[in-house]
Amino acid sequence: MRMDSKNMEDLLKKYWACETTLEEEKELREYFGGNSIPDQWKDTAALFRYFEETKKKSLNDLAFESQVIHKIHAPKKSKLVRLAYNTMRIAAGLGVVLAATWFIRNEIRETTPQAVVDTYDDPKLAFEETKKALLMISKSFGTAEEQARKINMFNEAQEAIQREN
Amino acid sequence: MNLEAFQNRVLPVKNKLFRFALKFLGNEEEAKDIVQEVFIRVWNGREQMNEVQNWEAWCMRITRNLSLDRIRSVTRRHTQPIEDGYHVLQETLSPHESTELQESMNRIDQFIAALPEKQRQVIHLRDVEGYSYNEICEILELDMNQVKVNLFRARNAVREKLIKINAYGL
Repeated sequence: MRMDSKNMEDLLKKYWACETTLEEEKELREYFGGNSIPDQWKDTAALFRYFEETKKKSLNDLAFESQVIHKIHAPKKSKLVRLAYNTMRIAAGLGVVLAATWFIRNEIRETTPQAVVDTYDDPKLAFEETKKALLMISKSFGTAEEQARKINMFNEAQEAIQREN
Repeated sequence: MNLEAFQNRVLPVKNKLFRFALKFLGNEEEAKDIVQEVFIRVWNGREQMNEVQNWEAWCMRITRNLSLDRIRSVTRRHTQPIEDGYHVLQETLSPHESTELQESMNRIDQFIAALPEKQRQVIHLRDVEGYSYNEICEILELDMNQVKVNLFRARNAVREKLIKINAYGL
Protein backbone atom coordinates (compact mmCIF):
# COMPACT_ATOMS: atom_id res chain seq x y z
CA MET A 1 0.00 0.00 0.00
CA ARG A 2 1.44 3.32 -1.06
CA MET A 3 1.16 6.26 1.19
CA ASP A 4 1.98 9.86 0.46
CA SER A 5 4.03 11.76 2.96
CA LYS A 6 1.08 13.84 4.14
CA ASN A 7 -0.85 10.77 5.11
CA MET A 8 2.21 9.36 6.74
CA GLU A 9 2.77 12.51 8.74
CA ASP A 10 -0.81 12.41 10.01
CA LEU A 11 -0.50 8.78 10.88
CA LEU A 12 2.74 9.41 12.75
CA LYS A 13 1.13 12.23 14.70
CA LYS A 14 -1.62 9.86 15.71
CA TYR A 15 0.97 7.30 16.62
CA TRP A 16 2.85 9.64 18.97
CA ALA A 17 -0.46 10.60 20.55
CA CYS A 18 -1.28 6.90 21.05
CA GLU A 19 -4.40 7.18 18.95
CA THR A 20 -3.51 4.70 16.23
CA THR A 21 -5.22 1.34 15.93
CA LEU A 22 -3.27 -1.91 15.69
CA GLU A 23 -4.03 -1.94 11.99
CA GLU A 24 -2.55 1.53 11.50
CA GLU A 25 0.51 0.62 13.50
CA LYS A 26 0.99 -2.36 11.23
CA GLU A 27 0.83 -0.01 8.24
CA LEU A 28 3.51 2.16 9.81
CA ARG A 29 5.76 -0.82 10.39
CA GLU A 30 5.27 -1.99 6.83
CA TYR A 31 5.99 1.45 5.42
CA PHE A 32 9.12 2.01 7.48
CA GLY A 33 10.31 -1.49 6.86
CA GLY A 34 10.46 -0.70 3.14
CA ASN A 35 13.08 1.13 1.14
CA SER A 36 13.33 4.77 0.08
CA ILE A 37 12.39 6.37 3.37
CA PRO A 38 12.78 10.17 3.33
CA ASP A 39 15.70 11.46 5.37
CA GLN A 40 13.48 13.27 7.86
CA TRP A 41 12.10 9.92 9.06
CA LYS A 42 15.27 7.93 9.15
CA ASP A 43 15.27 7.68 12.92
CA THR A 44 11.56 6.92 13.06
CA ALA A 45 12.17 4.19 10.51
CA ALA A 46 14.94 2.84 12.74
CA LEU A 47 12.47 2.73 15.63
CA PHE A 48 9.93 0.68 13.67
CA ARG A 49 12.66 -1.56 12.34
CA TYR A 50 13.84 -2.01 15.87
CA PHE A 51 10.36 -3.27 16.84
CA GLU A 52 10.34 -5.65 13.89
CA GLU A 53 13.80 -6.96 14.63
CA THR A 54 13.02 -7.44 18.30
CA LYS A 55 10.02 -9.52 17.32
CA LYS A 56 12.28 -11.85 15.37
CA LYS A 57 14.09 -12.83 18.52
CA SER A 58 13.15 -16.40 19.26
CA LEU A 59 13.88 -19.14 21.69
CA ASN A 60 16.65 -20.88 19.82
CA ASP A 61 16.51 -24.27 21.38
CA LEU A 62 15.24 -27.21 19.37
CA ALA A 63 15.08 -29.43 22.41
CA PHE A 64 12.97 -26.94 24.36
CA GLU A 65 9.55 -28.33 23.46
CA SER A 66 10.54 -31.91 24.10
CA GLN A 67 11.99 -30.84 27.44
CA VAL A 68 8.68 -29.25 28.36
CA ILE A 69 6.75 -32.35 27.28
CA HIS A 70 9.16 -34.48 29.29
CA LYS A 71 8.64 -32.34 32.38
CA ILE A 72 4.90 -32.45 31.92
CA HIS A 73 5.06 -36.23 31.94
CA ALA A 74 7.27 -36.31 35.00
CA PRO A 75 4.38 -36.12 37.52
CA LYS A 76 2.91 -39.26 35.91
CA LYS A 77 6.12 -41.08 36.69
CA SER A 78 5.95 -40.03 40.29
CA LYS A 79 2.39 -41.38 40.33
CA LEU A 80 3.80 -44.73 39.27
CA VAL A 81 6.39 -44.52 42.00
CA ARG A 82 3.67 -43.75 44.49
CA LEU A 83 1.67 -46.76 43.27
CA ALA A 84 4.71 -49.02 43.66
CA TYR A 85 5.32 -47.59 47.12
CA ASN A 86 1.72 -48.25 48.20
CA THR A 87 1.85 -51.79 46.81
CA MET A 88 4.99 -52.42 48.78
CA ARG A 89 3.33 -51.10 51.93
CA ILE A 90 0.42 -53.48 51.43
CA ALA A 91 2.84 -56.33 50.74
CA ALA A 92 4.73 -55.55 53.93
CA GLY A 93 1.46 -55.59 55.90
CA LEU A 94 0.51 -58.96 54.44
CA GLY A 95 3.99 -60.27 55.31
CA VAL A 96 3.54 -59.33 58.94
CA VAL A 97 0.13 -61.05 59.08
CA LEU A 98 1.53 -64.23 57.47
CA ALA A 99 4.52 -64.35 59.80
CA ALA A 100 2.25 -63.88 62.80
CA THR A 101 -0.05 -66.69 61.60
CA TRP A 102 2.91 -69.01 61.17
CA PHE A 103 4.23 -68.34 64.65
CA ILE A 104 0.82 -68.77 66.25
CA ARG A 105 0.34 -72.07 64.39
CA ASN A 106 3.68 -73.32 65.69
CA GLU A 107 2.76 -72.27 69.20
CA ILE A 108 -0.57 -74.16 69.02
CA ARG A 109 1.18 -77.28 67.73
CA GLU A 110 3.66 -77.27 70.56
CA THR A 111 0.95 -77.06 73.22
CA THR A 112 -1.29 -79.81 71.72
CA PRO A 113 -0.81 -83.35 73.32
CA GLN A 114 1.45 -85.71 71.36
CA ALA A 115 -1.27 -88.41 70.93
CA VAL A 116 -3.31 -86.13 68.67
CA VAL A 117 -0.36 -85.38 66.52
CA ASP A 118 0.60 -87.73 63.72
CA THR A 119 3.24 -90.23 64.76
CA TYR A 120 4.68 -91.33 61.46
CA ASP A 121 6.11 -89.28 58.61
CA ASP A 122 6.79 -92.23 56.28
CA PRO A 123 3.54 -93.64 54.76
CA LYS A 124 5.04 -97.15 54.42
CA LEU A 125 5.95 -97.29 58.06
CA ALA A 126 2.54 -95.95 59.00
CA PHE A 127 0.88 -98.65 56.87
CA GLU A 128 2.93 -101.40 58.55
CA GLU A 129 2.09 -100.10 61.98
CA THR A 130 -1.60 -99.87 61.11
CA LYS A 131 -1.54 -103.40 59.78
CA LYS A 132 0.10 -104.60 62.97
CA ALA A 133 -2.53 -102.86 65.05
CA LEU A 134 -5.39 -104.28 62.96
CA LEU A 135 -3.90 -107.81 63.16
CA MET A 136 -3.70 -107.46 66.91
CA ILE A 137 -7.36 -106.46 67.02
CA SER A 138 -8.41 -109.33 64.75
CA LYS A 139 -6.41 -111.77 66.89
CA SER A 140 -8.30 -110.56 69.94
CA PHE A 141 -11.54 -110.97 68.00
CA GLY A 142 -10.57 -114.60 67.26
CA THR A 143 -10.05 -115.33 70.97
CA ALA A 144 -13.34 -113.68 71.81
CA GLU A 145 -15.20 -115.78 69.24
CA GLU A 146 -13.89 -119.00 70.84
CA GLN A 147 -15.19 -117.92 74.22
CA ALA A 148 -18.49 -116.87 72.67
CA ARG A 149 -18.94 -120.32 71.11
CA LYS A 150 -18.76 -121.84 74.58
CA ILE A 151 -21.56 -119.56 75.72
CA ASN A 152 -23.50 -120.56 72.64
CA MET A 153 -23.53 -124.17 73.88
CA PHE A 154 -25.68 -123.05 76.82
CA ASN A 155 -28.09 -121.34 74.48
CA GLU A 156 -28.40 -124.36 72.24
CA ALA A 157 -28.99 -126.66 75.25
CA GLN A 158 -31.64 -124.30 76.58
CA GLU A 159 -33.43 -124.22 73.23
CA ALA A 160 -33.37 -128.04 73.03
CA ILE A 161 -35.04 -128.37 76.49
CA GLN A 162 -37.73 -125.88 75.54
CA ARG A 163 -38.53 -127.80 72.35
CA GLU A 164 -38.90 -131.08 74.29
CA ASN A 165 -41.33 -129.49 76.63
CA MET B 1 -7.14 -29.97 26.98
CA ASN B 2 -5.11 -32.91 25.81
CA LEU B 3 -1.41 -33.06 25.04
CA GLU B 4 -1.96 -32.60 21.34
CA ALA B 5 -3.92 -29.38 21.78
CA PHE B 6 -1.29 -28.19 24.23
CA GLN B 7 1.46 -28.82 21.70
CA ASN B 8 -0.41 -27.21 18.84
CA ARG B 9 -1.93 -24.23 20.57
CA VAL B 10 0.06 -23.37 23.67
CA LEU B 11 3.66 -24.24 22.88
CA PRO B 12 3.85 -22.03 19.76
CA VAL B 13 3.56 -18.90 21.90
CA LYS B 14 6.92 -19.76 23.44
CA ASN B 15 8.75 -17.01 21.54
CA LYS B 16 6.40 -14.28 22.74
CA LEU B 17 6.76 -15.49 26.30
CA PHE B 18 10.51 -15.76 25.88
CA ARG B 19 10.86 -12.20 24.58
CA PHE B 20 8.68 -10.90 27.38
CA ALA B 21 10.64 -12.74 30.09
CA LEU B 22 13.84 -11.55 28.47
CA LYS B 23 12.65 -7.94 28.84
CA PHE B 24 12.48 -8.45 32.59
CA LEU B 25 15.47 -10.65 33.18
CA GLY B 26 17.89 -9.71 30.42
CA ASN B 27 19.30 -13.22 30.49
CA GLU B 28 18.37 -15.86 27.95
CA GLU B 29 18.89 -18.89 30.17
CA GLU B 30 16.76 -17.43 32.93
CA ALA B 31 14.10 -16.39 30.43
CA LYS B 32 14.03 -19.94 29.07
CA ASP B 33 13.60 -21.32 32.57
CA ILE B 34 10.69 -18.99 33.15
CA VAL B 35 8.98 -20.01 29.89
CA GLN B 36 9.37 -23.66 30.82
CA GLU B 37 7.83 -23.03 34.21
CA VAL B 38 4.96 -21.10 32.62
CA PHE B 39 4.16 -24.07 30.38
CA ILE B 40 4.25 -26.50 33.28
CA ARG B 41 1.88 -24.26 35.23
CA VAL B 42 -0.42 -23.90 32.26
CA TRP B 43 -0.49 -27.68 31.81
CA ASN B 44 -1.20 -28.27 35.47
CA GLY B 45 -3.95 -25.65 35.39
CA ARG B 46 -5.38 -26.78 32.07
CA GLU B 47 -8.76 -27.51 33.66
CA GLN B 48 -9.11 -23.81 34.39
CA MET B 49 -8.19 -22.87 30.86
CA ASN B 50 -11.73 -23.31 29.61
CA GLU B 51 -12.77 -20.49 31.90
CA VAL B 52 -9.99 -18.20 30.72
CA GLN B 53 -11.16 -16.05 27.85
CA ASN B 54 -7.79 -15.14 26.46
CA TRP B 55 -5.35 -17.86 27.37
CA GLU B 56 -2.45 -16.22 25.55
CA ALA B 57 -2.78 -13.12 27.70
CA TRP B 58 -3.08 -15.46 30.66
CA CYS B 59 0.24 -17.10 29.72
CA MET B 60 1.83 -13.69 29.34
CA ARG B 61 0.58 -12.68 32.77
CA ILE B 62 2.05 -15.81 34.34
CA THR B 63 5.32 -15.02 32.55
CA ARG B 64 5.29 -11.53 33.98
CA ASN B 65 4.53 -12.71 37.51
CA LEU B 66 7.15 -15.44 37.47
CA SER B 67 9.73 -13.05 36.03
CA LEU B 68 9.00 -10.50 38.74
CA ASP B 69 9.22 -13.25 41.39
CA ARG B 70 12.56 -14.28 39.97
CA ILE B 71 13.85 -10.72 40.05
CA ARG B 72 12.78 -10.36 43.66
CA SER B 73 14.04 -13.73 44.87
CA VAL B 74 17.47 -13.75 43.29
CA THR B 75 20.10 -11.35 44.46
CA ARG B 76 20.81 -9.95 41.10
CA ARG B 77 23.92 -7.92 40.49
CA HIS B 78 22.35 -6.15 37.54
CA THR B 79 19.51 -6.71 35.12
CA GLN B 80 21.78 -5.86 32.19
CA PRO B 81 19.00 -4.81 29.83
CA ILE B 82 21.26 -2.62 27.74
CA GLU B 83 23.80 -5.28 27.13
CA ASP B 84 21.14 -7.81 26.26
CA GLY B 85 19.38 -5.48 23.85
CA TYR B 86 22.66 -5.16 22.08
CA HIS B 87 22.88 -8.94 21.68
CA VAL B 88 19.36 -9.05 20.27
CA LEU B 89 20.36 -6.71 17.55
CA GLN B 90 23.64 -8.39 16.82
CA GLU B 91 22.02 -11.74 16.25
CA THR B 92 19.09 -10.61 14.17
CA LEU B 93 20.60 -8.04 11.85
CA SER B 94 21.26 -9.16 8.34
CA PRO B 95 24.62 -8.18 6.85
CA HIS B 96 22.96 -6.01 4.21
CA GLU B 97 21.67 -3.48 6.66
CA SER B 98 23.67 -0.35 6.84
CA THR B 99 25.82 0.38 9.87
CA GLU B 100 24.04 3.69 10.20
CA LEU B 101 20.71 1.95 10.71
CA GLN B 102 22.34 -0.50 13.04
CA GLU B 103 23.72 2.31 15.14
CA SER B 104 20.34 4.02 15.37
CA MET B 105 18.75 0.78 16.43
CA ASN B 106 21.36 0.19 19.07
CA ARG B 107 20.68 3.65 20.42
CA ILE B 108 16.93 2.96 20.45
CA ASP B 109 17.56 -0.23 22.34
CA GLN B 110 19.40 1.74 24.95
CA PHE B 111 16.63 4.36 25.13
CA ILE B 112 13.99 1.70 25.68
CA ALA B 113 16.10 -0.16 28.20
CA ALA B 114 16.45 3.06 30.17
CA LEU B 115 12.67 3.52 30.45
CA PRO B 116 10.86 2.82 33.73
CA GLU B 117 9.76 -0.80 33.99
CA LYS B 118 6.05 -0.30 33.30
CA GLN B 119 6.70 1.87 30.25
CA ARG B 120 9.14 -0.68 28.96
CA GLN B 121 6.58 -3.47 29.37
CA VAL B 122 3.77 -1.52 27.71
CA ILE B 123 5.79 -0.41 24.70
CA HIS B 124 7.08 -3.96 24.24
CA LEU B 125 3.61 -5.49 24.38
CA ARG B 126 2.09 -2.93 22.04
CA ASP B 127 4.78 -2.08 19.51
CA VAL B 128 6.73 -5.33 19.39
CA GLU B 129 4.07 -7.95 20.07
CA GLY B 130 1.07 -6.02 18.76
CA TYR B 131 -1.35 -6.66 21.63
CA SER B 132 -4.57 -4.70 21.95
CA TYR B 133 -5.02 -2.27 24.85
CA ASN B 134 -7.45 -4.67 26.48
CA GLU B 135 -4.96 -7.50 26.31
CA ILE B 136 -2.23 -5.32 27.77
CA CYS B 137 -4.56 -4.39 30.64
CA GLU B 138 -5.13 -8.08 31.27
CA ILE B 139 -1.45 -9.03 31.07
CA LEU B 140 -0.13 -6.23 33.26
CA GLU B 141 -3.19 -6.05 35.54
CA LEU B 142 -3.45 -2.33 34.94
CA ASP B 143 -6.46 -0.23 33.97
CA MET B 144 -6.83 1.22 30.50
CA ASN B 145 -5.84 4.69 31.58
CA GLN B 146 -2.57 3.55 33.12
CA VAL B 147 -1.73 1.52 30.04
CA LYS B 148 -2.31 4.48 27.75
CA VAL B 149 -0.41 6.90 29.94
CA ASN B 150 2.56 4.55 30.14
CA LEU B 151 2.54 3.94 26.41
CA PHE B 152 2.31 7.66 25.70
CA ARG B 153 5.21 8.41 28.01
CA ALA B 154 7.30 5.57 26.61
CA ARG B 155 6.79 6.50 22.97
CA ASN B 156 7.42 10.16 23.56
CA ALA B 157 10.49 9.61 25.71
CA VAL B 158 12.01 7.61 22.87
CA ARG B 159 10.92 10.21 20.33
CA GLU B 160 12.42 13.06 22.30
CA LYS B 161 15.70 11.28 22.57
CA LEU B 162 15.69 10.61 18.84
CA ILE B 163 15.04 14.29 18.16
CA LYS B 164 17.84 15.28 20.53
CA ILE B 165 20.28 12.97 18.83
CA ASN B 166 19.30 14.47 15.50
CA ALA B 167 19.70 18.01 16.80
CA TYR B 168 23.17 17.26 18.12
CA GLY B 169 23.98 15.34 15.00
CA LEU B 170 23.12 18.29 12.78
